[in-house]
Amino acid sequence: MIDIRFDGVSKRYRIRRPAAAGEAPTPGDFWAVRDVTFEVPHGETLGIIGPNGAGKSTVLKLLSRITAPSAGTITLDGRVAALIEVGSGFHPELTGRENIFLSGSILGMKRREIAAKLERIIEFSGVGSFIDVPVKWYSSGMYVRLGFAIAAHLEADILLVDEVLAVGDAAFQLQCYERIGELRRQGTTMLFISHDLTSVDRLCDRVLLMNAGVIAAAGSPRDVIRAYDQMTDDNSAGRLADAAHVAMPGAARVVDVTFRNEHGEEVRGTRTGGPLCARVDIDVLSPIADAVVEVFYYSRDGRTLHCQQTTALTPEMLPLWEGRRSLEFTCPEMGLQPGVYAVGASVRDRTSAAALDWWYGTRLLMIEPGKNVRGYFYAPHSWRWADVAERQRHSADV
Amino acid sequence: MHVVIRPASRGWLRIDQHLRTLAAYTDLLYTLSLHRISVRYKQTVAGVLWAVLQPLLMMVIFTIVFSKLARIPSEGVPYALFAYTALLPWTLFSTAVANGTNSLVTHTQLITKVYFPREILPVTYLVAALFDFVMGLVVLALLMAWYRVPPTPYLLAVIPLLVLLCAWALAVMLVLAAVQVRFRDVGVALPVIVQLWMFASPVIYPLSVVPGRWRWWYDVNPMTGIIAAFRDALLQRPIGDVPALQAGIVVTAVVLPIAYAFFKRAEATMADVI
Repeated sequence: MIDIRFDGVSKRYRIRRPAAAGEAPTPGDFWAVRDVTFEVPHGETLGIIGPNGAGKSTVLKLLSRITAPSAGTITLDGRVAALIEVGSGFHPELTGRENIFLSGSILGMKRREIAAKLERIIEFSGVGSFIDVPVKWYSSGMYVRLGFAIAAHLEADILLVDEVLAVGDAAFQLQCYERIGELRRQGTTMLFISHDLTSVDRLCDRVLLMNAGVIAAAGSPRDVIRAYDQMTDDNSAGRLADAAHVAMPGAARVVDVTFRNEHGEEVRGTRTGGPLCARVDIDVLSPIADAVVEVFYYSRDGRTLHCQQTTALTPEMLPLWEGRRSLEFTCPEMGLQPGVYAVGASVRDRTSAAALDWWYGTRLLMIEPGKNVRGYFYAPHSWRWADVAERQRHSADV
Repeated sequence: MHVVIRPASRGWLRIDQHLRTLAAYTDLLYTLSLHRISVRYKQTVAGVLWAVLQPLLMMVIFTIVFSKLARIPSEGVPYALFAYTALLPWTLFSTAVANGTNSLVTHTQLITKVYFPREILPVTYLVAALFDFVMGLVVLALLMAWYRVPPTPYLLAVIPLLVLLCAWALAVMLVLAAVQVRFRDVGVALPVIVQLWMFASPVIYPLSVVPGRWRWWYDVNPMTGIIAAFRDALLQRPIGDVPALQAGIVVTAVVLPIAYAFFKRAEATMADVI
């Protein structure tokens, strides 16, 4: 059964460019989405990725009927709901409880339905006794959490999710992931739009890559994310990679990345300034004469915050022979701030810089509060009095 | 639920379908209207009193200016009562139109994020204005007791008249709100339009002073027949000018469906231009 069907859908915006001095404004057409056709079967989670302006959000707007298409037909089977942060629908004078009814109705819930779910929504939001206080007294975090809690309890056959997981703290995000997983298991068809490739990889059955209003690629999350990565990799190494890929048929796949503490026990992470050992398991399918192995740590919005790579440490060649290999990066003092980070790993051919495999794992790295950080990261350092004699020197870690 | 979404150029004349969609959103209409009323009075000290005070103050001012100074005739009724019986429906109309016209642009955040039939927004302001109207009726009852006008069965005419008034206000709101999304000039010009409209309707003067040769043009304005009939019903007398009311009914019956279809046509691309 097909729940969502896009049939040759286009959306055109008419744009009036601001008039230059003495000239009439020139109207122009901009095709946000052009002749897009795809289907989402019942129960599938489809991700849509692509650079800004690719048409992802327009697809969502068309689906949720916020705006009408310029051409084509969209067919939907089932009740549609959009999992968006609707704090904007709140009224500051009303209490949290009153706003749940208001916001819930705006999202399409019946009053009876809201009343039945009220307790669960309040619990999910975690605002506690503040629920009977006008929302104008809420912190911005509470505001957003309550807005999202309502949306997360919509009963829908088709759920549209747009960039919502960048909301709230790490604990709340995990809660949101769990809720989405729960809805998936219940057989809700989902359309997921995000820049967060880790979430896309974790949550989606299938992914569409959009670029300039058309579908550039479709397939399994891993394949499409790799295609996207190649598309956005605009440095020369990235372009070289395509050419070199054919010439150097060395092949490897990253299987997993796991973390260990100083005692060799497997852990979910460490604390700021604490030791961390990252182990990369690689299946080498055909030998690579000189390889580069890298581990990446990403922020929620997909920015690379930190990368550890073999070449930075060893100038000599790193040949990889066929079979399962494990490689460990040891960091005595991890400098990342407390939070949850996405983890990736890659294997490259050193001479051509060709990416042989690029892995966006399902792993998350948890960093607990440790060394006090002000600024973006912690770096190991010490201090001493510089104005007194050598023998009176004190030193201390900060 | 099977939904087919097509380009805006098709299906906007299917008023029956629009109404069916709207019916699925009655809960939202109820919640938003309730919210409208409660918010309106939540932050004001005098609360519900404001609903009553507005027509009442206007009545006092009009009585001083138009009756005592300008000596406008009032069909043998005390001018205060004469003015108030027209101000009550007029305030309903003007408040609903003023708020309803701006209702879409003040909810840009919602319109660009969630779908619901957009006509719900102007309609909630109409409901809020109706609430004020009911409050105003209480004051009218006190006024009538003061002037010793006993209630008669003529009062019952208020109910169908109210339906007609709301239908006409709705037609005006739908058109102005839809245009306002594209051209904000409407919002700027609105206070002047409403003011002129009041003087073009028999609110401060009786219908009888309007010269006969203007009457055809005058009666095309549905507010003429509605206001005059309201006044007659509230003053416990038979409706004096039936042709004016008939004209109002015909104009409303023709304009409302067109206004609704126009609104729905504009709705399809509202989120793009708001």
